[in-house]
Amino acid sequence: MTKVVIMDVDGGICARVVGPTGAEHRRLANRVMEEALEQANLSFDEISYVIATGYGRLNVPFADRQITELTCHARGVVSLFPAVRIAIDIGGQDAKGLKIKEGKLIDFVMNDKCAAGTGRFLEVIAAALGVKLEELGEISLKSTNKVKISNTCTIFAQQEVISYISKGIPLEDIVAGLHDAITSRVVKMVRRLKIEPDVVFTGGVAKNIGVVYAMKENLGCEVLVPEEPLFTGAIGAAILGKELTLGAMSKGEPIPRKERRLEEITFFS
Amino acid sequence: MVMESQGLARVREIYHDRSHRVKQLKAAGEKVIGYFCVYPVLEMLTALNLVPYRVFGDMREPITKADSCLPTVVCPFIRSALDLGLKGKYDFLDGVVMAHVCEVGEKTAHIWNLYLNPPYFHFIDTPHTVHKAAQKQHKELLKDFEKTLELFTGKELSPGRLREAIEAHNQQRALVRELYNLRKPDPPLISGTETLQVMVALMSLPVEEGNKLLRQVINEVKGRKDGLQKKTRLLIWGSIIDDVALIEMIEGLGANLVMDDTCVGSRFYFPDVELTDDPLDGLAYRYLVELKCPRTFREAVFGETKKDYMADLDSRFSYLKEYAREWNVNGVILQSVRYCDIHGYEVPQVKDYLDSIGLPSIYLEHDYSEAALAPLRTRVQAFLEVIS
Repeated sequence: MTKVVIMDVDGGICARVVGPTGAEHRRLANRVMEEALEQANLSFDEISYVIATGYGRLNVPFADRQITELTCHARGVVSLFPAVRIAIDIGGQDAKGLKIKEGKLIDFVMNDKCAAGTGRFLEVIAAALGVKLEELGEISLKSTNKVKISNTCTIFAQQEVISYISKGIPLEDIVAGLHDAITSRVVKMVRRLKIEPDVVFTGGVAKNIGVVYAMKENLGCEVLVPEEPLFTGAIGAAILGKELTLGAMSKGEPIPRKERRLEEITFFS
Repeated sequence: MVMESQGLARVREIYHDRSHRVKQLKAAGEKVIGYFCVYPVLEMLTALNLVPYRVFGDMREPITKADSCLPTVVCPFIRSALDLGLKGKYDFLDGVVMAHVCEVGEKTAHIWNLYLNPPYFHFIDTPHTVHKAAQKQHKELLKDFEKTLELFTGKELSPGRLREAIEAHNQQRALVRELYNLRKPDPPLISGTETLQVMVALMSLPVEEGNKLLRQVINEVKGRKDGLQKKTRLLIWGSIIDDVALIEMIEGLGANLVMDDTCVGSRFYFPDVELTDDPLDGLAYRYLVELKCPRTFREAVFGETKKDYMADLDSRFSYLKEYAREWNVNGVILQSVRYCDIHGYEVPQVKDYLDSIGLPSIYLEHDYSEAALAPLRTRVQAFLEVIS
């Protein structure tokens, strides 16, 4: 998903937009940007600084600077939860753990092998179960006897799920087992950072209440989730952009902009 | 007459067509012996007029043949090297020397011999500890190596020739250290990418030709005016890097790689061989004790039952602190090809050591595939954001 946040000089959010990312990153980046400008009732020329982050950061032709999602997430999470020490982000493509000290990112881990332990895993399995992704959380809350999913590979886990279905195991117990599997995989990775509270959980998967519960259970501590867990990276990018702009202005220096264009470009034209 | 290119231009030529020169030498009647890793004793080859040629893989070429004779869940570097062998790309070699560097290296040595059957083949069963008994054993193993070489060449290896070869290789080591000194200023005079190209070129030439080329490179680099820019200074540690792809990616993200602890770099070249009365003593010691690859077991105090973890780490890794200080390093990239057990097991300890001396580090695992490097970009960039 591609997200845009437009922030004013006081840190107020003027616009917040999300759209699906296709293979044509560049076109989509432009489209969501235009939508955000419309929402904020601003023209592109009125935007002082643009930071692009995430996997598509190099494909945003109108950005002044690229900063990794790790730095941006950390900044966004700190703005919402100043006492955060560990941030766990599970998105569609990857899962990451951030270690934060006094508001600064000091270490991080990312999954580097496959899609198990990411949102994609839940998407694939939800399709196999014939339920909507958004319904998984509520379904799992009814579970009384969750199953163990032993396979960490998405494809093999799917086969395991199908075998549970054919055994007549209730859907909620299978879904709760899946949430447990994805969570324990991510927690195992994040433990390398030595977990300390406050722990904040973000990313699209944090919208799934079942995973949030499983996360608390696996960590054995409270887990804080922002109201809009999808936007922390974009918020962080906007804050960093605001700081860079204000920093340059206070020193009387020009804002370090790149030549930018807001027009439709595609990979395939 | 066509002028032969010099210095770094020549280095780039060799880097992009590694076997060109040794094939010329072969056509002129010389014999070329391939070797894996850092453990085969090159001086013995040089002393018998054999041209040593380091066997590498190719991370830009998909592995298609090796998977029929090696499991896929082992070191992709070794798989790639064997793959090139099976595709005939090392057919020009007159022989191959391999050592018991790691388990996969050992198994692959015998597979190489079986499938490729080179005219000369020798396997050095290098010990895995540095204790006195192991040193003695290593010397005996080198005597066996000497015998097979004498049998293959029909010549006797005289201590005088061996001494000369040691001097020539020590000369190369001294020149490489001199080149590495040119990475100490800020900004460095030579990039990590260029340095790796020089190392690869040296491992593709007879020692004297390499020394001549190194002198040209050093002079050229010393005279540079429009050098590199000041950037975050990094040290890279870990398993083999024989292609510039990873280094180029890291340097492209806004860092200068100013020092390495890898086997196509300082690990291979920094320790000298001491000229002992029996030259084999100096060789056996250097190639077992002084080469610092994690395939060898080391401990601070032999035989002690209660270990002091930090003292142990210090005895094993304090050279990294020296490197960091002398090359003025801001951070360390620990990297390993996937399934490299020896480096994988070493990482937590190296990381603990670096943490203890306050040097930031990041660990990257990769597939020895140029195309698969992209996901590492975010990690490296984020690491640079964290430390600068």
